[in-house]
Amino acid sequence: MDPITFSIIRHRLFRVVEEAVMTLKHVSGSAITNEGHDLMVSLYRADGSLLMGGVGFLHHLTSAAEACKAIIRRFEGQIHEGDLFLLNDPYTAALHTSDIYLIAPIHYDGKLVAWSACFVHVFDIGAMNPGGFAPDAQDIFTEGFSSPGLKLIDRGEMRQDVWDTILNMVRGPEMVALDLRSMIACNNVAGERLGDLFRKYGTETVDEACRMLIEQSEQRLRERLRELPDGEWQSRQYLEVKGETYRVCLTMRKQGDELVFDFTGSSPQSKYSVNCSKWASLGGLFAPLFPLLCYDITWNEGVIRPIRMIAPEGTIVNCTRPAPVSVATVGAIQSVNNAACGTIGKMLAASEIYAEESTAVWHANHFAIFMFGTNQRGGLSIGILTETFAGAGGARHIGDGVDIGGEVPNPISRMANVETIEATFPIRYLFRRRLKDSGGPGRHRGGTGGEMMIVAHDAPDGGIDYVVSGKGTKFPQSDGLAGGYPGAVNDYVWVQAEDGTEPVFARDLAEAGGKKEPISWGVFPLRGRDGLYVRWNGGGGVGDPLDRPAEKVASDVATGAISARAAEEVYGAAFDGGALDVEKTDARRRDLKSRRLGEVA
Amino acid sequence: MARRRFSDTLFLADGNICCVSCERTVAPATGSWKQAAALSVVPVASLPGAGLGIDSRIVLRRFACQGCGSLLETEVALPEDPFLEDRIAIAG
Repeated sequence: MDPITFSIIRHRLFRVVEEAVMTLKHVSGSAITNEGHDLMVSLYRADGSLLMGGVGFLHHLTSAAEACKAIIRRFEGQIHEGDLFLLNDPYTAALHTSDIYLIAPIHYDGKLVAWSACFVHVFDIGAMNPGGFAPDAQDIFTEGFSSPGLKLIDRGEMRQDVWDTILNMVRGPEMVALDLRSMIACNNVAGERLGDLFRKYGTETVDEACRMLIEQSEQRLRERLRELPDGEWQSRQYLEVKGETYRVCLTMRKQGDELVFDFTGSSPQSKYSVNCSKWASLGGLFAPLFPLLCYDITWNEGVIRPIRMIAPEGTIVNCTRPAPVSVATVGAIQSVNNAACGTIGKMLAASEIYAEESTAVWHANHFAIFMFGTNQRGGLSIGILTETFAGAGGARHIGDGVDIGGEVPNPISRMANVETIEATFPIRYLFRRRLKDSGGPGRHRGGTGGEMMIVAHDAPDGGIDYVVSGKGTKFPQSDGLAGGYPGAVNDYVWVQAEDGTEPVFARDLAEAGGKKEPISWGVFPLRGRDGLYVRWNGGGGVGDPLDRPAEKVASDVATGAISARAAEEVYGAAFDGGALDVEKTDARRRDLKSRRLGEVA
Repeated sequence: MARRRFSDTLFLADGNICCVSCERTVAPATGSWKQAAALSVVPVASLPGAGLGIDSRIVLRRFACQGCGSLLETEVALPEDPFLEDRIAIAG
């Protein structure tokens, strides 16, 4: 095939995915989709192998491939043009029940030539807690509707009995219907545009280009791996739920042109819903691998071939049915992602060629707070606080992390405007801003996270309730690199108004009166004059904080990114009358370094 | 033997792992360099920016060069957990 035709087809495939993503966002009415970008669209070959991974949550690229293959196995001989399938069972392929895959076969000239797949986190899935994250779930059976594969549309005709059954099992069925319709529209656009491609270039040419594209990705990743040093790198992540501590342990081994992610040593599966299935773990390790190692390689089956995962069964990273998994995406999956980000960062840092690509761990703790209740218009609102997608950039070998700078596993994640959330829920924001001292200290500082506080406002029921399934309050998880410190942890504080105190106009947590109760797991009220304070983690730092240019430390203090205490104690800066004192700074840094020499490990 | 990167802060030379800042040998490449580094341990709860809910047991291990005091690596750990160990293959 001539290289120009190949290149045109490759770009066309990418554009098909992009247009499908736009369709998904435009049709969906959920802030989590069109504001937070908790979505994914991708294309697959006729056998279900990943052809073109799109943007959005990258954990899903490999899981949706497995979902395609599961549909192919289950519906062998019953897959027709115009069909559409649904799958959301975590023990078959999905990450958790709320993230529904809609998968469409794409036919050309009567022959199955490809698949498109997409997901959104639907408005509700009928789990015991509204919104799908179910911290109280004891097993998968209480985490809502779960299908290992069903046909939703048969040869272009909606199966109304199936549609009605699904919507009969969820809260806010009209919103779930809109979510599903957005995904149907998305798949329709992908199918139509791919059909145009086949019409223009013919089945043989497009199929050959797809085969070449996968081979090219495999060759390029293997070449890259051969350029990286052989060795092994370790990472460890802690999770805590209700006083129980879990570990995700990773040893990543690289030899020649292959990479093994070995999770041996990770904790046994939990009775809480932070577990993840093996498909979810696989997605979790690929989410940072795609952007960090394959930033210039097409994300497809070729990237998957050189990679192997070892995840012992019965552990928190490969749990067995019916263990609960609804919090997996912000639980064990994110920890797998963080651990993989950490080991890949260290491997890159060990390379003469790729050191500049190395990074500390980015935003490591989603906080996934789902609010639910009667809104100011008398309707039902369920939805996530999209600040969880705002993230924080990890510092890199070449510079500071970006403040509130997103996250590695979702290149297009973002948060909604305050006004959007206030229009959706009966709440008011008291403040939302960068969080001081949240970015991991280092020669290059980790990007800051943020903090915010909300109160009930104009609520017919006096307020609303919210589900907190947040890990990340006990243990820092945005690991630093090469002497950099980790980013700070999350906090969730229920500010309970007491007589004579009211947090209504508080400008920070200290100013808010009342009893301040740290919370992290369960369902809580936001009523009356109570408030909810949330802070989210920063990215990890890179390098020794004592090597950070003193002027940058002073600037960080001036802009509120760090405190004067951090500047002095961690960065070794000295100030005289508020101005940086270079000589005293040098002396203090020498002193701090000498104090490190006391003890041998 | 040529000098090779081990990390941002360490390099390999003549079968040893050495500090980038002062070039002092930290440890033989065959063993755990962290065992030979200067270790200071600080509770994460005592660091600026620590949250209200932070676990009082969790610490930040800071591994520094015995020669110049430069920070070579950090790791977050519970006290009972072993050091995280990285290894670069010498040959190849």
